[in-house]
Amino acid sequence: MIVGRYVDYLGLSARQLFTKRLRVLLTVLGIAIGVAAVIGIVAIGDGIREQAIQAIEAQSDLSLVEVHPDTQDGITQLITDARVDDIRSMDHVLAAAPAIRDNYATKKQTYLDVVAMNGPDFEQVLKPQYLHGEGMSPGTNEVVFGHDLRDTLQRVEGIRIGEGFDIVVRDYNESGYPVDTGHRLNATGSLTVRNDQFDRLLIMDLATAMTFRDDEAGYSSVFVRVDSADNVFGVAEQVKSLGLTATGAFEQIKAVNNFMDMVVMIFTLFAVFALLVGGLMIMTTMITSVFERTREIGITMAIGASEGDVVRLVMYECLLIGVMGGILGDLFGLGFATVVNTFGKPYVVASLGDQFAGIFGEQIAVVSPGLMLIGLAIAVVFSLGAGIYPAVKATRLNPVDAIRGT
Amino acid sequence: MTESIKVTGLSKEYRNGVKALQDVSFEVRRGEFVALIGRSGSGKSTLLSILGGLDSPTSGTVSIGRTVVDYRDRKALIALRRNVVGFVFQQYNLIVSLSALENVAYPLLFNYHSKAVREKRAMGMLELVGLGDRAKHFPQQLSGGEQQRVAIARALVGDPSLVLADEPTGNLDSKTSGEIYALMRQVNRARDVTFMVVTHEKELAAYCDRTIELRDGRVLSTGLETAACADARVMK
Repeated sequence: MIVGRYVDYLGLSARQLFTKRLRVLLTVLGIAIGVAAVIGIVAIGDGIREQAIQAIEAQSDLSLVEVHPDTQDGITQLITDARVDDIRSMDHVLAAAPAIRDNYATKKQTYLDVVAMNGPDFEQVLKPQYLHGEGMSPGTNEVVFGHDLRDTLQRVEGIRIGEGFDIVVRDYNESGYPVDTGHRLNATGSLTVRNDQFDRLLIMDLATAMTFRDDEAGYSSVFVRVDSADNVFGVAEQVKSLGLTATGAFEQIKAVNNFMDMVVMIFTLFAVFALLVGGLMIMTTMITSVFERTREIGITMAIGASEGDVVRLVMYECLLIGVMGGILGDLFGLGFATVVNTFGKPYVVASLGDQFAGIFGEQIAVVSPGLMLIGLAIAVVFSLGAGIYPAVKATRLNPVDAIRGT
Repeated sequence: MTESIKVTGLSKEYRNGVKALQDVSFEVRRGEFVALIGRSGSGKSTLLSILGGLDSPTSGTVSIGRTVVDYRDRKALIALRRNVVGFVFQQYNLIVSLSALENVAYPLLFNYHSKAVREKRAMGMLELVGLGDRAKHFPQQLSGGEQQRVAIARALVGDPSLVLADEPTGNLDSKTSGEIYALMRQVNRARDVTFMVVTHEKELAAYCDRTIELRDGRVLSTGLETAACADARVMK
């Protein structure tokens, strides 16, 4: 029976709104435009965010994390074997490869960024794919080139896979003078394109690299393979709790999310202004309605309505305006997204060139059911908020004065 | 016969110092049809508003039936308006967006009645006032007399023991006014409902059992028995 009573209230409110339908239609449009603005902005933001993340995922090894030493409160946390074991025992960590980073030079002074790892660790963590040759054997002078490095060395130095080449390792003596020692390395293989730092690195055996220098204090970093890209952020947090830092392609997603959150927030602020205008329109409509119905409200109270009943009658009208505005705003937002997706991409490609065709996938603007529900909720909340003052004003009417029309 | 209304020492002074009622006392028996007469500004409408729980007195008490009305208790006043009192106004005051049937059923919405019950009782009331065939019509489709009949049906639908009518025929021609008074009188007798009707038309006061005359907020007389009343007693 209670539900039936509220349905009756809704019916009465709908009848009241129908009597001033033009004014209500304009008010609903006001709210709908505000909701559509919010939906449009968030939809485009989500669309760009989604495309950017997909692009990062397609081009990057997201489940690979590199852990570095860090300094906190003046204390530097080095990467020791114990730390490596800690990292290996973390949830979602499949494998960890401690590494030493160094810089060597060829005889023609091409500088080489070097990362040295145990061969099995390298295979397990990097899962390398070889464009030429094969991987390095443990305890040997065999090295693997990243894709871009191989191109450079072949072009500049004439170094080919399967051949040996000389490098110089510069160290400094106690007097601070440089001491160069020469070594010969064998290029045993080169990697396919990875779109990460390994494209430019020379990878060699850890034990061999350690014989080139004798002053290493701990590892330079640890490469960590996580079971899935979704768990990378969790692993990065665990690494942080050890006093170390984690870097990787996942940071780009974090940066994209932070950037898009900021952009969407700023533009949403403007959309909220539109919603505020819609809310003020509702308030004006309802205040005018209450003013016009002063006598009617007086009569309603005279025949037994409580103040709560009067509030409900006014608020139900606001609820209906909000629901209509929210649904219409959702439809406007969907229409806007459709137009953007239909005409926006060709426009972007035509304006910026074919190389930008891949930036956006099928959709520039993404309107999810959740976003539409949020749009509806915003409209209802704004409408009810705008109705509070007129509703309270209605209850403050003196029934006697209201009936007399004074 | 037990009294329906007992008013004792009722006074009303507005904030601007106007004394609308001063030490008003009278009794009305259940089932009486009483006319409240007096010049404009004599306090008739104020008295009616206080009796109906729409306004509160500055001092004095009002008892309706066995209950003393507590004007500080808002819930009690709402219950009074829902269950004890029915109002009829000069301007009819129907809700234009509702049909005659819906207007009559409207007060029951606030009394937790289902739609079926509301409509059944409202239809019964419309038939009582002779407008059963006009149930679906909206106020603007009804004549003034018909609108006031709908208003009377609305006042009666909650089954009140007291109907307060504030110049119910003030906007009607004399023929229709006579019909409305006859209708109220018929309901008064058939349903044993007490009527207090504000009027300054003496010929209409003749329909009533008794007149209470106010002047400058004071009761001038409470016992003027009308000819109609005398006739009615003879008929009984």
